Amino acid sequence: MQFQKEVEILATREKVWRFIWDVDRFIACVPGCKDAKTVEEGKRYTAIMTEKVGPFKVEFPTTIEVLERVELTRIKAQATGTDNKIGSRMKIDLDVNLREQENKTIVEFVAGVDILGKLAALGHGIIKRKADQVLDEFAQAVKQKLEGDG
Amino acid sequence: MLRRFRLDEPESVAEVSELLGRFGDSAKVYAGGTELLLAMKEGLVHYERLINVKKLKGLGEVASDNGTIKIGALCTHHELENSSLIKQSLPALAQLEQNVANVRVRQAGTLGGNLCFAEPHADPGTLLIALGATMVAQKSSSKREIAAEEFFVDAYETSLEADEVLCEIRVPTPGPNGRSAYLKFGYLERPSVGVAVAFNLINGNLSDIRIAVGCAGPAPKRVAQAEALLSGKSKDEAARNLAQAGALAGRASQAISDLHGAQDYKEHIVGVLLKRAFQAALS
Repeated sequence: MQFQKEVEILATREKVWRFIWDVDRFIACVPGCKDAKTVEEGKRYTAIMTEKVGPFKVEFPTTIEVLERVELTRIKAQATGTDNKIGSRMKIDLDVNLREQENKTIVEFVAGVDILGKLAALGHGIIKRKADQVLDEFAQAVKQKLEGDG
Repeated sequence: MLRRFRLDEPESVAEVSELLGRFGDSAKVYAGGTELLLAMKEGLVHYERLINVKKLKGLGEVASDNGTIKIGALCTHHELENSSLIKQSLPALAQLEQNVANVRVRQAGTLGGNLCFAEPHADPGTLLIALGATMVAQKSSSKREIAAEEFFVDAYETSLEADEVLCEIRVPTPGPNGRSAYLKFGYLERPSVGVAVAFNLINGNLSDIRIAVGCAGPAPKRVAQAEALLSGKSKDEAARNLAQAGALAGRASQAISDLHGAQDYKEHIVGVLLKRAFQAALS
């Protein structure tokens, strides 16, 4: 499943970049993400991703690897996790691109999401819709956090 | 494989509500079990306690009361397809129930369970919205009525509170001019699209029209914009507006691309079924 979101943030690119690397604040913008830990600064992190569709709940202990980092411009990361209770795996390939436009920064999120295992029984459409909602909420939360900081 | 759970067998709705309130997410109401037990066997959900409501008295009857058909939440699909009162007063519902899933599901599955599980491809919710039904939910000491179109919130989600129990479905008894139909289409076990219409036909004019679409998107929906195109019109005028109403209903269905069909395909089918359902209701 491929997703793409763009969000305009009334902040400089430097400020947005610093925010992305402030793991605790950044992770707080990801719906259902908790217990974020830095394993290796700038390279490897862990977190618990939880999500819910009606009565179906998943909890993925997740490893996030930063694969590429172009200062102030681009981050490429991969998140992988397994929920052993439900027997499902998740893989997210995330590309975050930053570009400046007048007094604001355009942040583009491109995500490739793969869900494998029993969770897929819910149906591709339902999962895609949920993932889309999560990415939307995430993009909005990033915007609010940064613009709210003044 | 089904993991171990505790089976509670309360004797009243108030007790069920109390158990739900006390144990929260670790408890679930168990009626027919046709959806719940499948999900549990698959390991998709696990509950420490199932609250068996099958033996509760008074929730398995169909009755006519002062212009309303009252359907107990524990009525099975099989009971409803064979109920003489349903066949006579709500023939579209009787026909729908005749075609729910397969004979094994109809024997064990209950209407209340079907509605509460809110599986996106379920049939009854769509027709109940078109028929103007309300759901009666009860918790310890109070009851409230929820309009069918407000009952379904999202895929697998209803507006029931955590400790509320769906007890009854109330459907206004259609008058002698009442017309309704539900049609569905699909090529897998569950339907891809379902469309329901209900209206009064008085001297060749349509009034009180209600249109609902289901299965295509995350939850069944009433489509007021499509209704507005047909309401108050003569049969012929309404028939001319059906293509436009169908296009509106298709977009409003929030169709999702999945194994049941692509979004634009489902939207198209909504339009086709609306035309056919309208004709079926008239005939």
